[in-house]
Amino acid sequence: MRKPCAMAIGMLAACAILSGGAFAQAKQTVTIWNYWETPKHQETLARICEDFNDSQDKIEVVTKYIPFADFKKQLSIGAAASELPDIVIIDNPDHASYSGMGIFADITDKLASWPDLKQYFEGPLNSCKLNGRLYGIPFGSNCLSLYYNEDMLKAASCKPPKTWDELKSVALKTTKGNVHGFGISSVQNEEGTFGFLCWLWGSGNTSFQIDNANGIKALSLVRDLVKSGAMPKEVINWTQGDTMNQFISGNLAMMVNGPWQVPTMRQQAPNLKWNVVQLPVGNKPASDLGGENFGVVKGDKVDEALAFIKFAASPAEMKTYINDFGYIASRKDVAATQFTDDAVMKVFAAQMAFAQPRGPHPRWPEISDALSLAMNESITGIATPEAAAAKAQKTIDAILKQ
Amino acid sequence: MNLIKRYFSNGNIGYLFVLPAAVYMLLLVGYPIVSNFILSFQDVTVTTLNKLQKPFVGFRNYRLLLGDGVLQPSLANTFVFTLCCIVLQFIIGFALALYFNRSFSFSKPIRGLLMIPWMIPMTVTALMFKFMFSSNVGIVNQFLQACGLIGQPIEWLLQPRLAMLSLVIANTWIGIPFNMILISTGLTTIPADLMEAASIDGASARQSFFHIILPMLKPVIESVLILGFIYTFKVFDLVFVMTNGGPVNTTQLLSTYSYKLSFTLFKYSQGAATANILFLILFAVSIVYLKFVYDDGKAA
Repeated sequence: MRKPCAMAIGMLAACAILSGGAFAQAKQTVTIWNYWETPKHQETLARICEDFNDSQDKIEVVTKYIPFADFKKQLSIGAAASELPDIVIIDNPDHASYSGMGIFADITDKLASWPDLKQYFEGPLNSCKLNGRLYGIPFGSNCLSLYYNEDMLKAASCKPPKTWDELKSVALKTTKGNVHGFGISSVQNEEGTFGFLCWLWGSGNTSFQIDNANGIKALSLVRDLVKSGAMPKEVINWTQGDTMNQFISGNLAMMVNGPWQVPTMRQQAPNLKWNVVQLPVGNKPASDLGGENFGVVKGDKVDEALAFIKFAASPAEMKTYINDFGYIASRKDVAATQFTDDAVMKVFAAQMAFAQPRGPHPRWPEISDALSLAMNESITGIATPEAAAAKAQKTIDAILKQ
Repeated sequence: MNLIKRYFSNGNIGYLFVLPAAVYMLLLVGYPIVSNFILSFQDVTVTTLNKLQKPFVGFRNYRLLLGDGVLQPSLANTFVFTLCCIVLQFIIGFALALYFNRSFSFSKPIRGLLMIPWMIPMTVTALMFKFMFSSNVGIVNQFLQACGLIGQPIEWLLQPRLAMLSLVIANTWIGIPFNMILISTGLTTIPADLMEAASIDGASARQSFFHIILPMLKPVIESVLILGFIYTFKVFDLVFVMTNGGPVNTTQLLSTYSYKLSFTLFKYSQGAATANILFLILFAVSIVYLKFVYDDGKAA
């Protein structure tokens, strides 16, 4: 009897040691969902995670890619089925919707003592807030500016336009044969709204006003550009990527696009002579703030998720990746050190001062839909800018009233 | 035990055989339908999705949809799209089936090749047609311009009616093989001696078509038309990729509008309500179909 007993004790002890060892090694896994499709972005994100995983031994961060077109659907289904990741890298105008849905943790109090918070630009930080509470941290920002083909403008003896009227006349003068003077992605979805808001805000309106002289002026601008033939009607089917491809193929003299296109353009069209200036101004300078935020999902891993975010947001780490993304840092101290020798990126960095976030409103997707619909009606000529503005305002007012 | 035995020995054993199928249908078909109807009577949006108690609002979602100015055009678009596609697919498919029914060299391989559109993934077809119909760089305009048929490029996907026409053309191209193959199969069931007897009696090709082929094919034609209606009425991927309902909702169909409501605008209940309208229409069509099948079964 003694022997087996000793053996049993020995085995138990062995088990205890083994499992003890296993417990010490068990890491908390933190999952991140993201929708970045370019390989460069995926590689860089993986490297940030690796840096973090190597820096400590308690948390293991893993990433999961979900295509942009499916992203919101997956998040909604995940929310209904309670199968969500721990961190979501989310398009900034959608942040408020999902905060309103209740999937993100309120991290206002947890970050109250974090000194770095003061370093963030107001626009990006506001896009993480709902009703004054903080539900995330900006990842990185970008905005829209005007690209132009130097040879084409020179051939038409034009200078880059500074006002809306100049934009119309330069666009018309550079339109010849298959070349159109100007293009901006105008798809009837968030991507189209993104571009159109530069004009709406530039007229002096907010995201929620369109049926007044300013709003009609903004809609008339896009209508006039198409009517004069300076902008192809096909922009209603062009994504931002399509617009960039038309530009580097020499089919466009000018386009509105973001800094994330710069690395691709330099690589694919090294001989094309192009430059960037700030957007032409209507009543006041404006640009649209793009970029992503880290949203922290409610649950028992909020602290682990925040540990990773604080790591990724630290100036030392951020400097290693933000340029590779073609993004402008959301932190003032890091942004100040970026692109000191890159004239093109400097323009975007300067344009950031006028960049506003969309919304934020929990029902932003519906407001955005009304705006992009009005823009499409004006471009196709299905409705006049006046009629389109009145209809959109009715939709927006109904949403704001509830 | 005895009772059960007696029950089943009484010719009721059939119920046992039906049971697995019935359970399967209830769980995988019945449950989603019922759940979707419940969803359409609640108010589920971004703010209420995660609440345990979803507010019950009766027919409010249906009333809101009727007043939003997009549902009725979508319904009309869906019918226009479906009817145009079916008429074209059916006529061309029938003609091809008759043509390939005559045996000539390579008739079988060519008929096989014509099945390709049916087998290509819908998204691929949609992207292909989107490129082909592009105003400035699309092959359709280039071809028409090279032939001197048009001066200015046609704005295929940019004008409301032309966008609908482009979708009909693309979907017809996909649907022709389906019509052709089913009608071909039907044609092989017509006895050769019947046709021979008709020709000996001096029936013209026209007469044998209208008095022999059409009546003999009636059950097949009914199936083709009704199945075609169901497939076309709920088309989604083709439209989603080619126009996404644009320009300005003029090619919005019930299926794409339901998707947009649910997954772009986060109005889940209204999306469900739209899907239910689609379902009810198809349900009515299916009942008509089942009645045809039942009547034919009785006649035969």
